[in-house]
Amino acid sequence: MSVEGKLALVTGSGRGIGRAIALKLASQGADIIVNFFRHRESAEQTARDVVALGAKAEVIRANVGDPEKVNEIFDVIGNKFGHLDILINNAASGVGRPLVDIDVKAWEWTMDINVRACLLCAQRAAKLMEGRGGKIVSISSLGSRFVLPNYTVVGVSKAALEALTRYLAIELAPQGICVNAVAASAVETEALKFYFKEGLIKDSRQATPAGRMVIPEDVANVVAFLCSEEAFMIRGQTIVIDGGTSVGLFTLAGKGE
Amino acid sequence: MSIEEQVKDILARITRVDKNIITREATFKEIKADSLDVVQALVAVEETFGIEIPDEEAQKFQNFGDFVSFVENRVAQKEKV
Repeated sequence: MSVEGKLALVTGSGRGIGRAIALKLASQGADIIVNFFRHRESAEQTARDVVALGAKAEVIRANVGDPEKVNEIFDVIGNKFGHLDILINNAASGVGRPLVDIDVKAWEWTMDINVRACLLCAQRAAKLMEGRGGKIVSISSLGSRFVLPNYTVVGVSKAALEALTRYLAIELAPQGICVNAVAASAVETEALKFYFKEGLIKDSRQATPAGRMVIPEDVANVVAFLCSEEAFMIRGQTIVIDGGTSVGLFTLAGKGE
Repeated sequence: MSIEEQVKDILARITRVDKNIITREATFKEIKADSLDVVQALVAVEETFGIEIPDEEAQKFQNFGDFVSFVENRVAQKEKV
C-alpha cells in the first residue's frame, strides 16, 4: 500500500482531518500541496511536518469556494509540476443554523465550498491526471444521511457531495481515475470544538460502540487506503468511519446504556 | 478613499445596512453582521488590501473601530516592507 512518489493536493490541510491526511500520505512517500484559506500558521506547520517526513510540500492559499481561486491553485500545480496524482477534497465550511434561518447567502456559501469546489477541483485535477490515472477522495460526513441539529445546509451539501462522487466515479473511470468518499461521525478537531461550544451536538463519545470518538487519523487511514492500488475496484462509494455509531440506532439515540 | 471608508463600503455591501450606522463604536451585532457576514467581510478586506487577518485576531474585534484599526496597522506594516 504505497503512494510513493505521488503528488497529492489536500484542500484545507492546515488543521484537523486535512492535516492528518496530508501527514499520512506524506509518511507513505507522497509529496503534498497544502491548501489553506484562513490559517496560514497551521498550513505552514503542516508543510514543515510533511518535509520532516521526507516528502516535499508546497503551500497554496485559496478559498476553494471561489472558482477563480480554484483555477489559480491548478494553474500553479500545472505550471510547477505539470501533473497531479491524488486530489483530496477536504476543505469544508458551513453555517450552523436552524432550518428556518438558512438564507440564500448561508446556503450558497456552504454549497460553493462543500460541493461546487469539489466538482471544479475534480475537473481540473482530471486534466492533470490525463494519461497517468489518479485518485480522488472527498470528505463527507454522517450528516449526509442522518439529521443533526442545526446541520441542515451542511448535511444537504454532504449528500450532494456523495452523489457527485458517484457521478465522478463513473465518468472518470475510463481515464483510470478512482473516485470515492469517506463519511465520518463527529471527529475530534478544532472545528468540532465550535459545535460543542455552541451546543449544536452532544458529546458522542458514549454513543460510539467502538468506545471512543473518531480521530483525524482514523479518517486519514481510510483515505490513504482509497488512494492505494489495493482499493482499485472500489468506485463511487462513501465509506463510513464512525466506530459503529450509525448501525447502532439505540446508541445513536443515547439509549444504549 | 480612506481605508475606513473602503472597509465600511465592504461591510455595508455584505450586510446590506445603511453605511451611516457603521460607526467606529458600532458592534457587529449593531451592524447586523452575523458570523458568516464577518467571515465574508474579512475575506473581502484581505483581498482588497492584500493582507491577512488571522481568525484569532478577528475574534478580538469588539467593534467596527477595532476592525478598521487592525486593517490600518496591517496596511501600514505592509507598506513599510
